[in-house]
Amino acid sequence: MSVACFQRIERTVGRCFGLLATILLLAVLATPNQAFAHAALIKADPADGAVLAQTPTQFSLTFSEPVSPLVLTLVRPDGTPVALTSFRLNDQTVAIDNPQKLGPGTHVLSWRVISADGHPVAGSVLFSVGAPSAAPAVAEAIDMDLRSAIWTGKVLLYIGLFLGVGGAFALTWLAQGVHSGQRFVIAAILCGLVAAPLSLGFQGLDALGAPLARLGQPLVWRTGLATSFGWTVLISLAALGLGLLSLVGPRAGARPLALAGLAGVGAALAASGHASAAEPQWLTRPMVFLHGAGIAFWAGALLPLGLALNSQSADAGVFLGRFSRTIMPVVAMLIGAGTVLAIIQVQTPAALVNTAYGRLLLIKLALLVFLFTLAAVNRWRLTALAEAGATEVRRRLSRSISVEMLIVLLIFGAAAGWRFTPPPRALAIAAAQPTSTHIHTLKAMADIDITPGHTGEVTASIVIMTGDFGPLDAKEVTLVLSKPDSGIEPIKRPATKPGDGSWRVDNLVIPVPGRWTARLDILVSDFDIVKIEAPIDIRP
Amino acid sequence: MNKYLLPAAAFLVLGTSAAFAHITLETQEAPVGSTYKAVLRVPHGCDGKATIAVRVQIPEGVIGVKPMPKPGWTLQVKNGKYEKSYQLYGEAVASGVKEVDWSGGSLPDEFYDEFVFRGTLAADLPVGQKLYFPVVQECDGATTRWIEIPAAGQDEDALEDPAPGLNLLPKK
Repeated sequence: MSVACFQRIERTVGRCFGLLATILLLAVLATPNQAFAHAALIKADPADGAVLAQTPTQFSLTFSEPVSPLVLTLVRPDGTPVALTSFRLNDQTVAIDNPQKLGPGTHVLSWRVISADGHPVAGSVLFSVGAPSAAPAVAEAIDMDLRSAIWTGKVLLYIGLFLGVGGAFALTWLAQGVHSGQRFVIAAILCGLVAAPLSLGFQGLDALGAPLARLGQPLVWRTGLATSFGWTVLISLAALGLGLLSLVGPRAGARPLALAGLAGVGAALAASGHASAAEPQWLTRPMVFLHGAGIAFWAGALLPLGLALNSQSADAGVFLGRFSRTIMPVVAMLIGAGTVLAIIQVQTPAALVNTAYGRLLLIKLALLVFLFTLAAVNRWRLTALAEAGATEVRRRLSRSISVEMLIVLLIFGAAAGWRFTPPPRALAIAAAQPTSTHIHTLKAMADIDITPGHTGEVTASIVIMTGDFGPLDAKEVTLVLSKPDSGIEPIKRPATKPGDGSWRVDNLVIPVPGRWTARLDILVSDFDIVKIEAPIDIRP
Repeated sequence: MNKYLLPAAAFLVLGTSAAFAHITLETQEAPVGSTYKAVLRVPHGCDGKATIAVRVQIPEGVIGVKPMPKPGWTLQVKNGKYEKSYQLYGEAVASGVKEVDWSGGSLPDEFYDEFVFRGTLAADLPVGQKLYFPVVQECDGATTRWIEIPAAGQDEDALEDPAPGLNLLPKK
């Protein structure tokens, strides 16, 4: 490999990072709010804004999917934080013990949890004992330094896995005898070997909501390792090790090692992330595996191939021939798996434009169209001529491949941005969650669930009981929803009995979001009516 | 006496407009231990529909009830046991009319009518409180239930469909 050529690659890579930084900016700007992540809080007890007569013995947080708590803190009215360490997980609910008596005033229950995709989510619930006071300040700002670090770590890990391990596969399986790009591939693997553990630390920091300065603490690393991203890092390290060994180890074992490395790339990606956490798992995880392994196959071969063609080596034609014969099914698989995952994640075409996740996907698709155009020109116009040995064509092909490399790096940047954007699938799950309220009076109590808990057409499900938890056989139940500050007349609908002991109101349309008052008029007997009411929050 | 004048005055000032739309009693106060003639005033139908039945629940402590028949309406009573035994003209009574139904008639929304019954207010009814007579007004395909009783401290005017009430005065 000539020095000039290496310099050119360095320049190309440098340019790539400039563009990647632009994409990072785009990705972060397009991300609306970190509170919108995948595991969404759907119910809190005490509810946000609640005023309690006395100290609750426990708190409970219910999420849209099972989570495990990372940090639970109660901030007292005077701003002193109290760590809450005793909690139990019950499916999607986290029940937290409150060990102490609370003084009067507004408290903040601050939570940070992680769900199956390995991405931490945080938020807080304000409640007051006795009467509300000024809420204590709780910092929950987006840590841009940490976000940049996570994103950079992710891009470097992609370079290590796709260009490094993928490159090792290309060199051992496709480019027998050609060693062009071997130094670059090894460098990419080493870059991955550094980025993988660092990413684990960043993940730990994100999980704990800690600043970059705490990277040295063992707790941060243990926390990172305990998340599903810990598996991604461990498998990545194994895959990177296998890739490296296939290049520097004994030649006899090179091919199986490189193949195992390639499989490791797919497995590492399938271990965590939005797409792997999506349902149905039997479909998404294998699809992520195929997608990851396919990218490594393709992207990994580009640089060694470009350099081989540029160096005009005799074996470059053989390399190019093998690559162009195998790439078609691999790309077909790559597109197939990618399409399946995109459909599962994005769900509706509108979400492509309306969500940060969708916009990143559009950027990625635009880059892909460009990449496929170049690849198609290479494959069908230049490859045959280059295989035959036409020097000028080989140069052109080599230049085209360096542009492809650039686009591939941009795609890595866009894909790494997904770390900060919940997929429309998760947003839809969160939006479909019901909103609930519980009413308890001496005469009667009721649970009202409004599904979905946002504006538009909804269904209300009502369970009523007597004030002492006995069965309440009502003659009629009427739901009255009112929002006096909205200028809308109360919405009054008789409930029907579906036959399972509950009452329901179908085809109810809630016009505006906010805090509504839900009242139940329960006709207990001909001359006896009980009216109970409670506030219920309707999401936009 | 002031104690009763004030709510009564307040009722006259504030209550009249609301009372127009509701089923109410013509006489809204009576001493305990006396005979009381209840006149239920029905000012309109249910949501514009003609009234076809009026049913009133007799509260505990109103004994020896006799409803007044009404031409064009079928009169029925439901008897039942009182919660305890009362003295009426020197005799112990433990059961009697618990509900009065006038049905089978038709009172168009644009007309007014009255439904009458008589009974004795037991002497041990709590003076100073209100006694409520929940009424169910049935119409063609609709029902209005004048059965809401204010909870302690609740403003009666805030109720949508309040039950007709009677202020209990001290025994004469």
